[in-house]
Amino acid sequence: MQLLWQILVNGVLLGGLYALMALGLVLVWGVLNIVNLAHGALIMLGAYVCYYFFTGLGWDPFAALPVAMSLLFCLGYLIQRWVLNLVIRAPMFNSLLVTFGLEVVITYLAQLLFSADFRTVNPSYAGANFSFFGATVPWVRVLAFGVALALTFALWLFLDHTRIGRAIRATAQNLVAARLYGVNPRQLYALTFGIGAALAGAAGALYGVVSQINPYIGAGLTGKSFAIAIIGGLEKSLYVLVGGLFLGVVEALTALYIGPTYTDVVSFGILVLVLIVRPTGLLGRTA
Amino acid sequence: MSDPLLKVAGLSAGYGDMAVLRDIKLEIARGEIVALVGSNGAGKTTLLRALSRLIPSTGQINFTGRALDELTPDEVFALRLVQVPEGRQLFDQMSVEENLLMGGYRRPDSAAVAADLQRAYELFPRLKERRRQLAGSLSGGEQQMCAIARGLMAAPELLMVDEMSLGLAPVIVDLLLDTLVAIRKEGVTVLLVEQDVFSAFYVADRGYVMESGSIVRVGPAKELAEDPEVKRAYLGI
Ligand SMILES: Nc1ncnc2c1ncn2[C@@H]1O[C@H](COP(=O)(O)OP(=O)(O)OP(=O)(O)O)[C@@H](O)[C@H]1O
Ligand SMILES: [Mg+2]
Repeated sequence: MQLLWQILVNGVLLGGLYALMALGLVLVWGVLNIVNLAHGALIMLGAYVCYYFFTGLGWDPFAALPVAMSLLFCLGYLIQRWVLNLVIRAPMFNSLLVTFGLEVVITYLAQLLFSADFRTVNPSYAGANFSFFGATVPWVRVLAFGVALALTFALWLFLDHTRIGRAIRATAQNLVAARLYGVNPRQLYALTFGIGAALAGAAGALYGVVSQINPYIGAGLTGKSFAIAIIGGLEKSLYVLVGGLFLGVVEALTALYIGPTYTDVVSFGILVLVLIVRPTGLLGRTA
Repeated sequence: MSDPLLKVAGLSAGYGDMAVLRDIKLEIARGEIVALVGSNGAGKTTLLRALSRLIPSTGQINFTGRALDELTPDEVFALRLVQVPEGRQLFDQMSVEENLLMGGYRRPDSAAVAADLQRAYELFPRLKERRRQLAGSLSGGEQQMCAIARGLMAAPELLMVDEMSLGLAPVIVDLLLDTLVAIRKEGVTVLLVEQDVFSAFYVADRGYVMESGSIVRVGPAKELAEDPEVKRAYLGI
């Protein structure tokens, strides 16, 4: 019982981070109708930004997070503006190919630049923890969880309560009407993709403090983000959060009862099951 | 008409290889209500799409003295040439109020936008009652009100309304026509595209009749409405 409780707490904390990972993918998918297969690679880059600011300049990883977000925003904006805008009206297959190509290139470059070694971000307070109704909870994980929740909430506020956020939603719903009412889709798409990449950067920075990183973590993280998008649908950030928490808990339970090597098998099993039973998504609508 | 607000000359446009519009000439003066009528598939909507730059065209389009040919739809919109498109094209998953606010998307002055929102609610009290409702769940008439109000929120110089009366009860059509007459008094010029020829000529100052991609008649609306040929073709009299 004690163990189960500990596992549940771990799962929830991890799930918050998963939700943040998926959020950028979901935003881009919903607005641009592009499933960004390079999303995980962007998360990986965010993790390395944080790593180098931590080891090279001695920055606190949480202070490096805004830097990772800003850099990834710029990268995302440029990728959309100069690469993806060329295929935006093309069938989805084309954009899948292009983002797959991006994922390969980014991963390859990362391996050249950062080497294939495992890296960890270990701030001095990494070992500090407290007891939560008997479960041992590391402070960094709680902090990462809190930041992930705060960013999810911030995105929701931005989309629901700002002029630009409204334009982003309008464009997702009716492109022709949005163009007739003053939206420049190229700019708006670049901005949206930039925000998606910034969220990936944030998720990467947080991932670096709770887990090991190497250049190859991207593909698996894209897969997890995709699973959450399918579970939660593309409509509400809240559903993405629920999807993330769900996946986190399921993975933690799998690790406990079936074995840590099976977590991916089980989470993709769920993905396939959802696709078969409710192809429109478990909570909201998918594309 | 020494200095028209909109001046179109020699305009041709189509979809891919298919030519739809041929050599269109059209002028609208400030403060006019102009009706553009024609049977199904004549090319009225295509003309509006070309004016809003959703599709490319050849020939001249001048609006407030500026050539529109090289502009994108959002730039045309910023010049206050605003279209209420066929089929309303509301943002279905957004509330009525958010749809109206999208109309003011390019306006920097938020105080003026807020004032115009109140004005829109005065014009259409129904929309005020339903401002939190999703636009997609409004009735047809309410949706058309919402579409017109969204257009007005853009503070248009020229408002082009496509197929406003389609599928609406006569009372609602009359109400919407009255609204157009009212906003014209406030200085908005209106281009009204209609199948309902009788309603259109009733409120309009001048009319254009379009047939298979060309303008075939121009004149004061009252004259066109009395014209035996127009009557035969469009009113079945
Ligand atoms: N997106 C499109 N692609 C190809 N052809 C089109 C497209 N839209 C319209 N057309 C064609 O262009 C011609 C003119 O259509 P348009 O919609 O401009 O007519 P309309 O005068 O607005 O008719 P209605 O009164 O029925 O709305 C028609 O023959 C139509 O089939
Ligand atoms: Mg039409």
